[in-house]
Formats: sequence, structure tokens, C-alpha cells
Amino acid sequence: MRRLIFLCGFISLVLNSCNNGKKLPFYGPKTVSQKIVDGKQEVDSVNYSIPGFTMTDQDSNTVNEGTVNDKIYVADFFFTSCPSICPKMMKEMGYVYDKYKGNGNIQILSFSIDPERDSVGRLKDYAKRLGNIDGTKWHLLTGNKDSIYELAKKYLVSATEDPDAPGGHIHDGNFILIDTKSRIRGYYDGTDDESVKKLMNDMDILLSEK
Amino acid sequence: MNKQQLIKLFTRFGIFVIIAIFIYDIYSHGSIEHPGKAGYKAECSECHGDNGEGIKTLVPPLHNAAFARAHLDSIPCWIKFGMNHPITVGDTLYDQPMYPNKMSDVQAANIINYLCSDFWQIDTQVNAQWVTNHWKNCQ
Repeated sequence: MRRLIFLCGFISLVLNSCNNGKKLPFYGPKTVSQKIVDGKQEVDSVNYSIPGFTMTDQDSNTVNEGTVNDKIYVADFFFTSCPSICPKMMKEMGYVYDKYKGNGNIQILSFSIDPERDSVGRLKDYAKRLGNIDGTKWHLLTGNKDSIYELAKKYLVSATEDPDAPGGHIHDGNFILIDTKSRIRGYYDGTDDESVKKLMNDMDILLSEK
Repeated sequence: MNKQQLIKLFTRFGIFVIIAIFIYDIYSHGSIEHPGKAGYKAECSECHGDNGEGIKTLVPPLHNAAFARAHLDSIPCWIKFGMNHPITVGDTLYDQPMYPNKMSDVQAANIINYLCSDFWQIDTQVNAQWVTNHWKNCQ
């Protein structure tokens, strides 16, 4: 029995040391809920989570919160005719895709903030240009424009239309890491190599989190 | 260890450090960086890559010397004003808009010369006047 305890202790030590036992933070406003447990009032704080959505991907498939249910995913906002940071962001997201394309627990969602121009056909062409990416792993998404802009707000990132900006839209280059319960666990600069490496490191931490 | 031995040791160490610095200096300043390289890194490499490799079939690579030779007169315009139409490089059609860049004629000339010498092995050297003349005729 003592041996077993030592063995378990040793194994957990080894497993822990892989990621230094690091835990990722939760982003967004917490909500407080009050419950009555055993006749006593208890206050519980609930972490912020991304609400449901319905979009269409490059293969005309419907993608909604069910698609990413119990999965870790990375989200970003782009548009195909974006002349500025998008190509670089897509290159960086390509590294994430290449690393995790064999992992059934990971998804990538790239929302177009120019959905009227970015039809399914256009997204399909873009997917080919990214190296014929697998549409069941990396979804390029279009849908109702207002819903997409609302959704960007829910991810706590900025996306706005601006006729004076290159391509007519302003957006930041954030990659957003979402856990299996739709909670925001990290923001990364999608145009920066080092930041995207950190994202992949954090994805490994999240994968080992139970 | 007596005082004399200590001095000897320090002297030897000092000489070693001086030689090391000397060698490092030769290596680090041995090759002078092309004046257009910094401009390329700042304005072009984000999409076209540090070595001009491009991005998949989204952004064209800049390796194609034959293409560069054929379009040398258009390059100053593309660099400054961007591009808003599809373009075929090699046998691939690229359809990604390129954004305009704020840059002086000198900066543009430096970048073009860097591309000519390091990417395309073209002997032509352009200057700021050549760039300005081309900018006048951009569509």
C-alpha cells in the first residue's frame, strides 16, 4: 500500500512537472449565483462563457455551439479580402492547424467579418489556398453580419466596419482560446510567432486539464 | 595560490577575453547588411516572409526572378500603392489584395535593390529618381 502511494505520488509529480502545474486564467465578467445548500445560503461565482451561435462553414455545413461541445477551440476574426494582417494570421493559424489536425478534441473557428462578400464559395476557395484545409477541423465561417459583429463582442474582441481602413474593416489580430465549457482561457497575438507558440503551449495545458 | 600566480591567471584570462571580443567583432561586422533589408523586414516580410517564401497560395512568393525581370517597371507601383487585382506568378493565380505602404523613394529604391541582389540575382541597381519617375506613371 505504501508503495502504491509513493508510485501515485511520483506519477502525479512527473505529470505535473510537464506543465509546471500551470493553470490558465478565466477571462470575462464572473456572474454570482446564490444557492441554498443544506438550508444555508451559498454564493457561487460562475465564469463567463461564450453564448450559442449558428454559422455556415466553407463546406456549407452548419456550425454552432454543438460543433465545439466538449472540445477546445481557437477562434479568430478575419475576412478573405483583408489586405493587412489576415494573411499573416492565417499563416500562424496554419501552424496551429498542422500541429493539432490529428487531435479530435481540437477545433479552429475563423469568423468572417465581411460575411456578405465572403460567401461559402469564396471561403471554399480560401480554404484551398490555405493548403486544402480539412473543413471538419478548421471552419471558415460566414453568416448573418449583425450576429457575427455581436459574437465578436461576446469574445471580447473588437471588429468594426470602417470605410477608411484597408479593406473596409478594422479588427484586432487576436487568437482566442476557448475551453470545453465555452469559457475564454487566453488571448494571443495572431501576427506574432512567439505569442502563437505560447498559444500552442497553453492548448497542451488545457488538453491535460480535467 | 600566491599573489604572482594570481596576477598571471588574471592576465591570461584578460588576453583570452580580448581575443574572444576581437573574433566576435570580425564575425558580427564581417558582412555589412544590405540597406534595403531592414525596409523589407519592416514593410514586406509580414506577408511575403523573411526569405520571400510567401504564404501557401494566398500570398505570392518573391523568388520568381523571371517574373521580377518581366515586371520590374511595375514593382515600384505595387510597393507604394498596393494591388487590388488577381495576379498570376509562375502557374498559380493569387487573389489577395496587397495594401499600400507609406515609404519614401529612397526606401523603395533600397528595397528594390535588396530584392534584385538577394532574391533575383539581377545586376540592375535603381535609385530614388528612377522610383519617383515610375510613381508618376502608376495607374
